[in-house]
Amino acid sequence: MTAAGIRAAEVPEPAMVARVRDVLAYEWIKLRSIRSNYVTALVAAVVTLGATVVVAHALASTPAHQPAAPVTSLTASFLPYAEYAVLPISVLGVLQFTSEYSTGLIRTTLAAVPQRWAVLAGKVAVVGAAALVAGEALAFACFFLTQAILSGRHRGLSLDTPGVPGAVLAGGFLVCACTLMALGLGAIIRHTAGAITATVAAIYGVAGLCFVLPAPWKTDIGRFTMAFAASQVLARHSQHGLFSPGASMLVLIAWPAVTLLVAGLVLARNDA
Amino acid sequence: MIEVKRITKRYGPVTAVDDLSFTVRPGHVTGFLGPNGAGKTTTMRIILGLDAPTSGTALVGGRRYRTVVRPLRLLGSLLDATAVHGGRTAYDHLLSVALSNGIRRGRVAQVLELTGLDSVSSRRVRGFSLGMKQRLGIAAALLGEPPVLMFDEPVNGLDADGVRWIRLLLRRLAADGHTVFVSSHLMSEMAQTADHLIVIGRGRLLADTPTDRLTTSSSRGDVLVRSPQASQLAGLLAARGAAVTVTDDGGLAVAGLAAPAIADLAAAHGVPVHELMPRPLSLEQAYLDLTGTSTEYHAASADGKAEADR
Repeated sequence: MTAAGIRAAEVPEPAMVARVRDVLAYEWIKLRSIRSNYVTALVAAVVTLGATVVVAHALASTPAHQPAAPVTSLTASFLPYAEYAVLPISVLGVLQFTSEYSTGLIRTTLAAVPQRWAVLAGKVAVVGAAALVAGEALAFACFFLTQAILSGRHRGLSLDTPGVPGAVLAGGFLVCACTLMALGLGAIIRHTAGAITATVAAIYGVAGLCFVLPAPWKTDIGRFTMAFAASQVLARHSQHGLFSPGASMLVLIAWPAVTLLVAGLVLARNDA
Repeated sequence: MIEVKRITKRYGPVTAVDDLSFTVRPGHVTGFLGPNGAGKTTTMRIILGLDAPTSGTALVGGRRYRTVVRPLRLLGSLLDATAVHGGRTAYDHLLSVALSNGIRRGRVAQVLELTGLDSVSSRRVRGFSLGMKQRLGIAAALLGEPPVLMFDEPVNGLDADGVRWIRLLLRRLAADGHTVFVSSHLMSEMAQTADHLIVIGRGRLLADTPTDRLTTSSSRGDVLVRSPQASQLAGLLAARGAAVTVTDDGGLAVAGLAAPAIADLAAAHGVPVHELMPRPLSLEQAYLDLTGTSTEYHAASADGKAEADR
């Protein structure tokens, strides 16, 4: 009748591979079994591509070869993308934790996987991978769509133009970085509305403030923001005053990395 | 087996659980009783590693829950049946939980059938009644075929059929040798289900006893005696140190003296006795006696209190 004590001791510790597979499978099933995740991603894609067509036609109708044009054939590809793709998918990142807190499902999650860093790592891996795939697919779609429209005016770029593949790949990564930061903010703040506000502030708000600063400060401070860093990695020619594209990439990695570190500490320390 | 050792949990100035210790053993349904706000749910959350105790430890199968890998094979629990994502189907919910602990997919169909949810498994949980959600939560708890089960107020909000189903399930699990730990604020519910009771109030242990001994251990039981010479008998009983009160219909309620002693005393003095009835304290009354001074929120009047406890 001491079944409990005996069995607990007899259950063998599964190998690390099995533990990783468990956590990934858990988060993957949870992600794919919510229909609104697909709907949101689909709406984001349709709106982004639609807006991209509008922007590309607008650019195609302006005179070519303006010196120091604010929008180039390459950056035009990402104008709608940087908002209509980045924001909704980031919101899905927020919801990964906040929806579990609002429904109470987090208690089921932590009862199933009590090691909280493992829960965070599982979500980061699954949501990060999904966001990267969605981001890259949309970034390439936006690029090709824009260039197809611009090529009617002989202003399209091809993918083998130097600097272009890196910029498009970086565009896909931007969605992943923002989504993971949003996921971390969701874990820290726990409430959907607050976490979405914080996400919008971190991605756009901070940069918006820097944008109105006087000359040297605008870029001196602005280069640390995600939006300024993104504009650097999405362009073919470096902008003056900002970090190099490589360093800007590190800025894009640092925001989610720091957020997720704080999220892990908060998760591990606080009561669920 | 669940071992709670000297657990204290404070939220700021409020002490939710106060130096609480008990052990829940296999093969029994152990009821965890206390008024609302007594600290039952907090204690269960600490056992599950959801909350960290201010001091003390809780062990499941000899280990702290947060260190257990694939813990659903050790402890299945249901704290809050409504804590599910409404957009997910019952099957997907259970599948995700199963895979998180390396439990084979086939087990999902088994627990769906066991809980009678197989016909609604492809429906979104949003449309489930509370009773169906309770069954879903229990299905999830049973997924890992754990030797230890813990349920927080599992019959809350259920209809009579649902209550009976859960009661039978708990009894069967205990009969199979499982450790079954189930909380309630209703003594009447636990009286029919639990073999053993752990009663707490304001976070403190009030009783840790087999259910059938909770009543006998209390001194509040009495004996109803009827006699044509009631006043003479009352005097004799009082002389022996018994507390005698006259009931509305002329009987004597005798506390502090057992029925055989009353009968012997009456016979020795030639007093005829027409009725001699031991009245053990009801479980409900024993429970109210225990928790009477520890209810978190006292109702204004005695009537109000009885109402609130029902």
